[in-house]
Amino acid sequence: MSAELDRRGIVEALLFVAEEPLPLARLQEVLADEDPAATEATIRELAERLEEEGRGLMVQEVAGGFRLATRPEAHPWIQRLQQVKPAKLSRPALETLAIIAYKQPITRAEIEAIRGVAVEGVMRTLLERGLIRMLGRKAEAGRPILYGTSTDFLEHFGFKDLGDLPSLKEIDELIGPSGAESPSPNSGAAAEASPAVPPPTGNGTGDPTDAPEAT
Amino acid sequence: MTYQVRLEMFEGPLDLLLHLIREHQLNILDIPIARITEEYLRYLALMQELDLDVAGEFLLMAATLIHIKSKMLLPPDEAAEGEGEEEGDPRAELLDRLLEYKKFKDAAQTLGVLEAEQAQLHRRGAPATELEVEGPLAVSLFELLRAFRGVLRRADVSAPLEITPEELNVGQRIVVLLDLLAAESPIEFTGLFAGTLRRAEIIVTFLALLELLRRRLASARQAEPMGPIMIYRGVEYLDEQPAGRLEGEEARRLGSPRGYPEAGTSEAS
Repeated sequence: MSAELDRRGIVEALLFVAEEPLPLARLQEVLADEDPAATEATIRELAERLEEEGRGLMVQEVAGGFRLATRPEAHPWIQRLQQVKPAKLSRPALETLAIIAYKQPITRAEIEAIRGVAVEGVMRTLLERGLIRMLGRKAEAGRPILYGTSTDFLEHFGFKDLGDLPSLKEIDELIGPSGAESPSPNSGAAAEASPAVPPPTGNGTGDPTDAPEAT
Repeated sequence: MTYQVRLEMFEGPLDLLLHLIREHQLNILDIPIARITEEYLRYLALMQELDLDVAGEFLLMAATLIHIKSKMLLPPDEAAEGEGEEEGDPRAELLDRLLEYKKFKDAAQTLGVLEAEQAQLHRRGAPATELEVEGPLAVSLFELLRAFRGVLRRADVSAPLEITPEELNVGQRIVVLLDLLAAESPIEFTGLFAGTLRRAEIIVTFLALLELLRRRLASARQAEPMGPIMIYRGVEYLDEQPAGRLEGEEARRLGSPRGYPEAGTSEAS
């Protein structure tokens, strides 16, 4: 009566029990696949099956792995079930987070220089939420703490990795020649600090601000 | 009135400048410094009159603006060391800061949209309690102040007499506003001041509102820039999807949580 469990079903089961997004390599290991491409193909087939059958779940690639998530269309019902409102981060929190995401590793003073206000309280919230983390200390007077985003950050916004960040709007073209070479201490700071501080994800694209890629 | 509303979670001076540039439709690349300084100081004075806990950054920016303004009044000095001040537009540094900040402000907006999308995808084992949100405003503080100025101006005309308000206090006014919102939500911002003519009373009402917003007992929302500001009981507007989603159609459907599920059911069957 019940169909035999196929590879797609196995991947589905694995994703179901996993608490964090499962990296491809881990799935490949468990499935004992020679070739990661085979694992990837199975994941894709599972995703297609879920979609074709109009299921409530989908496969989402996020934070360097794969996970099962409910389809967005199911959201209103889930809200009824859980009675939980999808709260959002405040604007100051989002702004601070954006600066950290694009400029990491970055110190609090550097963030405050951009935002023009103190960010201590907001940073504490972001740290408590696990959206940012301390990466190390900057090699300068006072050895200030350097901050960067976490894996939870990627998950929260649905990014595969930092290369997934939308490109910052290029504003240099708007500025006349007078402002074109605006002091941008940040790229320098990132370069200085990078030997001590590895980028938070495996994708080695480096500073996303340097690479305005298509989104 | 010794009541101080803490502003740390609200916006900073760069936000105020961007707000003013937008409000008066100024060209950010060619900011009329005299005018913007005047406007900036007007807001600052208002914030001080409200006894808002104006952070030092606001005063610093005021000093910067005045400094730039005075430099622009001076005739271009040929003799000045060309090395020190290249080209010499005194506004250049401020412009750089504004543009740099705006870049991230825009990026934050995009992040907000992505966040809202992700919030609709649920997964097993996710904590049932959602994010703690520390900021209440879907409109900026300066939008509120702008609306507040409008209310004040009208009051000044109709009730020029200043009455000492010994019975007014923010705590009581908070209760009054909560009652209002319990009876009706949302209420348009100006509606909170209906029948309130005295300047001091208006100020107390506004402070009470800020405190409610800060404590998330109320929330403010503005559907379009410079549009009317609606005040909601609690944070209930979060039920709706804010305008400007990446997928507008999706947002509209999901925006009516009561209507959509039924439609979806018939779709699915």
